[in-house]
Amino acid sequence: MRALLIRRLFTAIPTLLLVLLASFLLMRFAPGGPFDAERPLDPETRAALEASYGLDQPLASQFFGYLGNVLTGDFGPSLVYRDFTVTELVAQGLPLSLTLGGLATLLATMLGLAAGMSAALRPGGLRDEALMFASTLATALPSFVTGPLLALVFGLWLGLLPVGGTGGDPRYWILPVIALALPVAGAIAKLSRAGLASALGGENIRTARARGLSERAILRRHALRPALVPVVSYLGPAAAGLLTGAVIIETVFALPGLGRYFVQGALNRDYPLIMAVILLYASLIILFNLIADLLYGWLDPRGRA
Amino acid sequence: MMAREMRRILIPLAIVAAIALAAIILPVFLPWSHDAIDWDHARAAPGEAGHILGTDELGRDRLARLAAGTRITLLVALAAALVSLLVGTAWGAVAGWIGGRGDEAMMRVVDALYALPFMFIVIVLMVVFGRSILLVFVGIGLVEWLTMARIVRGQVLALRNRPFVLAALASGAPAHTIIRQHILPNIAGVALAYLTLTLPALIMIESFLSFLGLGVQEPLTSLGILVKEGADDMDIDALGLLLPGGVMVTLLVCLTLAGERLRDRFA
Repeated sequence: MRALLIRRLFTAIPTLLLVLLASFLLMRFAPGGPFDAERPLDPETRAALEASYGLDQPLASQFFGYLGNVLTGDFGPSLVYRDFTVTELVAQGLPLSLTLGGLATLLATMLGLAAGMSAALRPGGLRDEALMFASTLATALPSFVTGPLLALVFGLWLGLLPVGGTGGDPRYWILPVIALALPVAGAIAKLSRAGLASALGGENIRTARARGLSERAILRRHALRPALVPVVSYLGPAAAGLLTGAVIIETVFALPGLGRYFVQGALNRDYPLIMAVILLYASLIILFNLIADLLYGWLDPRGRA
Repeated sequence: MMAREMRRILIPLAIVAAIALAAIILPVFLPWSHDAIDWDHARAAPGEAGHILGTDELGRDRLARLAAGTRITLLVALAAALVSLLVGTAWGAVAGWIGGRGDEAMMRVVDALYALPFMFIVIVLMVVFGRSILLVFVGIGLVEWLTMARIVRGQVLALRNRPFVLAALASGAPAHTIIRQHILPNIAGVALAYLTLTLPALIMIESFLSFLGLGVQEPLTSLGILVKEGADDMDIDALGLLLPGGVMVTLLVCLTLAGERLRDRFA
């Protein structure tokens, strides 16, 4: 366990550096800069601005200077939101995005597992077919269609739920969380159904059946854990995506989260802001993949080193 | 293939083909183009003044817009899918064939690209390629080949130790001949299945970008723009959201179903 952790840490650092370097270079070589405006700045002002943000330095020293600052938690000033540092902006948007993504991950896991298990109980049956069709539907529908549709039906037609903002009332979270969770729930339902179907073919299951255990007990005690392996490996990156980038849902439901800053930052070539968000995203992916790897050992002892 | 299995694959594909055909043919018969404004009939109800599905808040014919949007969305998705098919198959086949260190290095590149946030890549592409939407989608195709490369590599790895490939190697056939005659025909089915699954993903990307105002620009229109317009206007006029939403959902669901069934058949 500890060896795995240390090995992962050693591969995580170069990966993060690579991600940072790649995004740094891509962003710098893309045409257009943060000080391009409707009216071009005169050369002196432009030079002064670039000097004050260090953009006139050679690329390598810009990169290493940035790297040094990042290690101390300083992502620099935002180039567009002039009065804020990037750290402040991220700190503003992150709690909302984490709450939204966390709730959606939770809901998706519960819904998906329930549907997958219920379908696997009688493979090929009517319920199996219906649930799997519903899962395909859920994965195929993008959140920018389901989001507005949910808002239309439950917000405007039925008048049951609020459709935008975060008024401190938990009801504001219901629609965005559902819209965000549905595709992931569908994918989890399919993966857990497939995992259970293959786990139920194992020899331990035949033994359990021979011992006269009920189908439900077999499912819960013997088949579920190994069947969760593909679900966990999918959930790692999926959760990282839900936590950081619910761009559309945040736009549709007018929620001030991280996704909005990401899009704004990219459109305005706000380099420090984009790079902070990218680094955050890459770290989360690595973290969640590590958690997934640790879970494998618990779920399926055969893989334990 | 059993008839029932065949039907389960062909029916969704036929629905997609029907929608595509309608989107191509309809504009020929409609008296309005997708951006023509009928000044006297803004927000016309369906059937009013010859507008079969009514008009939007600017008086533009809804059916014409729907057809134009569907056409653009399908066109860009198809262009990007073909690029991803070419690049993904080539990359995966080469990696799987050469094996060893080269394979390892090529697959690490794929892993690294997976880790980059997709939105970021797309936005950089938009900046580099400018507003030419087709070029942007060729660019997205160049990014979306990752899954295809992984799948193809796995297939090639499995194939290259099969007796018929070994026999070809032993008889001294050059690598490119073996790849063309023995490997590619055997991965065609899987590649086709994933091509079908890539299309809905690309349709979603196009709509997602257009929804954010980054994709197709006026006067062109796409399903994503229509959904966005409909969502902005839904408290007054629900039809504006329901129609493009319905077309998009039908396309996505049919393509996903067909793709999954093809994959179950071939993989």
